[in-house]
Amino acid sequence: MLLKLMKKEFYEFRKTGKLIAMIITFLIFSIVSPITAKIMPELIRSISSEITIIIPTPTWKDAFLQFFKNLNQMVFLIVVLLFIGSIAEEKNRKTAGLILSKGVDRKKWILAKFLFQISLVFILTIISFFLCYYYSVILFPDTEFDVSLQSCILFLVYMTFIISLTIFSSSIGNNIIQAGGIFITIFIILGILNMLSPVRDYNPIYLSSLENQWVTTGVEWNSAVKTIISSITLSVILIFIGLYSFNSQELE
Amino acid sequence: MNAIETEGLCKYFREKKALDNLNLEVPKGIIFGYLGPNGAGKTTTIRVFLNLVKPTKGTAYILGEDIRESRNYLRKIGFLPDVPNFYNFFTAREFLSFIADITDIENPKKRIEEILELVGLKNEKGRIGTYSRGMKQRLGLAQALLPDPELLILDEPTSSLDPQGRKEVLDLIHSLKDNKTIFFSTHILTDVERICDRIGILKEGRLLLEDDIENIKKRYRRRRILIEVDDLKRFSERIKETLKPNSIEVKNNSIIIEVLEIYNTLKEIPQIIVQENLLLEKLEVLEPSLEDIFLEVTNAT
Ligand SMILES: Nc1ncnc2c1ncn2[C@@H]1O[C@H](COP(=O)(O)OP(=O)(O)OP(=O)(O)O)[C@@H](O)[C@H]1O
Ligand SMILES: [Mg+2]
Repeated sequence: MLLKLMKKEFYEFRKTGKLIAMIITFLIFSIVSPITAKIMPELIRSISSEITIIIPTPTWKDAFLQFFKNLNQMVFLIVVLLFIGSIAEEKNRKTAGLILSKGVDRKKWILAKFLFQISLVFILTIISFFLCYYYSVILFPDTEFDVSLQSCILFLVYMTFIISLTIFSSSIGNNIIQAGGIFITIFIILGILNMLSPVRDYNPIYLSSLENQWVTTGVEWNSAVKTIISSITLSVILIFIGLYSFNSQELE
Repeated sequence: MNAIETEGLCKYFREKKALDNLNLEVPKGIIFGYLGPNGAGKTTTIRVFLNLVKPTKGTAYILGEDIRESRNYLRKIGFLPDVPNFYNFFTAREFLSFIADITDIENPKKRIEEILELVGLKNEKGRIGTYSRGMKQRLGLAQALLPDPELLILDEPTSSLDPQGRKEVLDLIHSLKDNKTIFFSTHILTDVERICDRIGILKEGRLLLEDDIENIKKRYRRRRILIEVDDLKRFSERIKETLKPNSIEVKNNSIIIEVLEIYNTLKEIPQIIVQENLLLEKLEVLEPSLEDIFLEVTNAT
């Protein structure tokens, strides 16, 4: 049943152009990031030819810093926008009630959406990572594979949390606006908490800063263990509450 | 055995009593018409049956299963929602194959073609998003019928169909009666008269009446007679004098009287006509229509 329901999600993404939108966003940034890192200094120099600014020569690190910056901004935005309505809008449009009245298990219905979303994001992230790596090696032959790959794993953990949060928000909200509101509220609270150092180590948002830290100063698993464990625990809790709440909701 | 049976079923939305102590019985193999004015609680009843909302009190047994304890019975039900909404990006065929997939239908391709033919959507190739309301209702019927369910629950199945479509769909529902139970809600009383075996009338969450159509008609048969004669004025005066009817109503060139006892009245009328030397043009004992009964039952409370 899970596979059949995931197949429908995939079909929906393909038919509505969401799939193409995601693929393009991921691919553009994986190719563009190393290139911008390479040409940025020349670009700045050409604009301000009067004054001499000292710009350090770009390295592979700049390519991956760009890559993660883009993943955490544009790709993040696209992922949230495309996923946030997945459950709430089906409730709103009453298609949820129609499908579930056929005896489909409510928990499976939600889990299928979660599994589809996470598979799609993981696959696209991994492909983009390799693309970015490929271009980076062409431009900066000393690109370090191990470091960049391990930073990318942090991003995957971070996305697991974000997707769990969209599933949670979408299970609770009754339409895309409510779901979006819940998501943004929680995200802002986490953002504020991220400025307070005592709880910071346990905050999933901290993962996005760690990605950059690892790229610049090297991989250090010890410093990330707390954050990774708490992100995964929080993801499980969010999914669980989402499933539980949805299971007892009244549908139309 | 009953296909549907409710026991003191209540559903409150905060203090609003959408369903109030509903005791309903739908025997297997019949067409049951579920009637009631807007907001009576028809859709709410159906949502409870489909496990989309939980009863506040009481329960229902559907195909022998208690809805509070099991959801297995849902696999044996076909459901048409009141405002059918589907995934707009699918075509009818794609949508039905998705439904076939999740309901484990054997030989889905063949079955889908059969069903599309049955509901008259065989030649529709476009996306569901472009469908008219009536076409969506037909598709709704198709997805309900696809798994060949034991029990069909239809929420206003003909509400947006054209007269031709309404006739086709009613005939279709009627033809399914042999091996299915059909429970359908509607406002359209002529539809009910045409195909239902049994009806329930709901108002403000309470069941006012539930019986076989035949019994109901017998029970509500009013003693009303329509007469047309050449001199209405003279005739109605004589009627008033001799028969002392409950009511008398003159319409165009005919007269409708309501009496307590019909047999004597039918003997008296010809006598009056002979005595007054009138010309009898028409005499008819009026059957109550379901509409009369519906209005009488729902206005009484
Ligand atoms: N989710 C809800 N919250 C609050 N009240 C509700 C809810 N759903 C239904 N109601 C109320 O319950 C009552 C019954 O509604 P229902 O939709 O069952 O009526 P209906 O008989 O199907 O009417 P119609 O013929 O217009 O379709 C109405 O007064 C409605 O306002
Ligand atoms: Mg209704």
